[in-house]
Amino acid sequence: MTVPAATVTTRPRSRFGALLRYTLRSCLPPKRWIAVLLPCAGALLFGLLAHAIDDTAAAAFANVAAEGIFGLVMPLVALIVGDAVLGAEVRAGTFHYTWLSPAPVWQIVAARWVGGSIVALASIAPAAALAAVVAGSSGSAGPAFVAAAVGSVSYVAIFIAIGCLTKRTAVWSLAFVFLVERLLGAALTGIAQLSPTWESRAIFVGLLDEAPARLERDGIPSGTGAIVRLFVVTLVALAVANWRMAHMRLSGASD
Amino acid sequence: MPWDPPVPAATERDPAFAVNATVEVSDASVWFGPKVALSDLSCSFGPGVTGLLGPNGAGKTTLMRAINGLIDLNQGHVSIQGRDPRRDRGVHGRMALVPEDEAVPAALSARQFVRYIADLHSVADRDAPDAALTTVGLLDVADRRVEGFSKGMRQRTKVAAALVCDPTVLVLDEPLNGADPVQRVALIALFKQLGAQGRTVIVSSHVLHEVERLAERVIVLIHGRLAAAGGHRAIRDAMDDRPRHVLVRSDDDRRLAASLVGLDSVAGVTIDRARDGLVIQTLQARELATALPRLARHASIRLLEVRALDDSLESLFRELVR
Repeated sequence: MTVPAATVTTRPRSRFGALLRYTLRSCLPPKRWIAVLLPCAGALLFGLLAHAIDDTAAAAFANVAAEGIFGLVMPLVALIVGDAVLGAEVRAGTFHYTWLSPAPVWQIVAARWVGGSIVALASIAPAAALAAVVAGSSGSAGPAFVAAAVGSVSYVAIFIAIGCLTKRTAVWSLAFVFLVERLLGAALTGIAQLSPTWESRAIFVGLLDEAPARLERDGIPSGTGAIVRLFVVTLVALAVANWRMAHMRLSGASD
Repeated sequence: MPWDPPVPAATERDPAFAVNATVEVSDASVWFGPKVALSDLSCSFGPGVTGLLGPNGAGKTTLMRAINGLIDLNQGHVSIQGRDPRRDRGVHGRMALVPEDEAVPAALSARQFVRYIADLHSVADRDAPDAALTTVGLLDVADRRVEGFSKGMRQRTKVAAALVCDPTVLVLDEPLNGADPVQRVALIALFKQLGAQGRTVIVSSHVLHEVERLAERVIVLIHGRLAAAGGHRAIRDAMDDRPRHVLVRSDDDRRLAASLVGLDSVAGVTIDRARDGLVIQTLQARELATALPRLARHASIRLLEVRALDDSLESLFRELVR
């Protein structure tokens, strides 16, 4: 074994591009895709379930989507993706290959988020729209797509932040979804205002032509106002992830 | 008239500190809850290969992670060419770590993994990943997924990933684990070559003879503390001067025992029925090793087995810190 001599050089490849390719290729291998697509199939089942409700197709789908898709499937898919792009790698002990590079921390965070968001946008958002079609409410497909896209992208940012804060990303992320959002968020409007579940539901309801009155919740913005709210939540989550990742203590897979 | 501080002679220099140090560790302490991993450790590393030696749990991996900035010190500080690896991310462009963990990004091929590291370090040479894989002898399997690799091949993939960024400081945590004898020889030659090029190469191991073969300088850790430092001869001498127990089996143990009592190098002899031989206590293992066969030949006694009973590195470490 000898150390090779340097050869012809060209312009280095983009770091961000490398980070993004790595996120899509290494953090989200085929097995993860299967785990992502299974709940998406569940979204279609919720679409079929809407036929069993004795109401107009649009109202039936709105009720099913609010609880089943935005309250269960979307957080679950985003959790699988969000954990894959950071938490799983930290647990496996491979994240330090990325961390031990001169790449700025913000680029690492941004690439993980963009990579995770691409997967979320390619899975849960079309599944939500398709569920509307399956339910016989094609007019709800657009609002469902937009709400699932914005909500899942926001969730991925939150789960990346949780991955930077704790090693048990999946457990803490589940706690966030079911204890903070579902339990506290149902009771406290202040928490619901910052919750991707509640806000994506509000986006969906706000964009529908005729939304069932019971789905409208006082005190939280809906429609485009909810989109702006989730945009701010996403930015804050990414800022927390950026700050925390710079101070991560990476003691290896065995610890 | 300005006062010139006395310059210590080369022989007075603390062996824990290297000349032209690139990596400096000062009063470093790290603890994980109640477990102290490093305790008030001060040493430095310079160009060339330095062996970091210690039994399992001595703090070698913690020190290597601290040098790379992967963990915060609870006390003290580490600097790489005067820069803090924890706060100055630019310093990671000059250093590389080969971790002990087998973990590698399983979904990638060896080439994809090394190329990823090259891209993160903005390596302009597009052929650098293949050159690094050639160096470790993995080019012919470069397109195979790393998850299918043996432990030794994974180690070599990690070494290739470290080499691709042309580091000034290379930290290798048990890099020979899992390598077969041929690869072991090749890797040792490679590390020595990297050290000869003026890079700071820090290699950890718990195998003394392995470190002897590749490092000019050795730092011994035990329980997170500096136990010894210097050339490997000094470490080996420390090993030779400690009390040893040697088991000897022969065709006439009683007559051999009577003859041994007269030797200066023998502190005591007992007949061990359980082991079916003699246990010799000695403070001068080298002298005994020379005298024993000579004595047996003169007395026409046939030696069947000669074996050190406490020749482990752990026993050396115990002696060094006593």
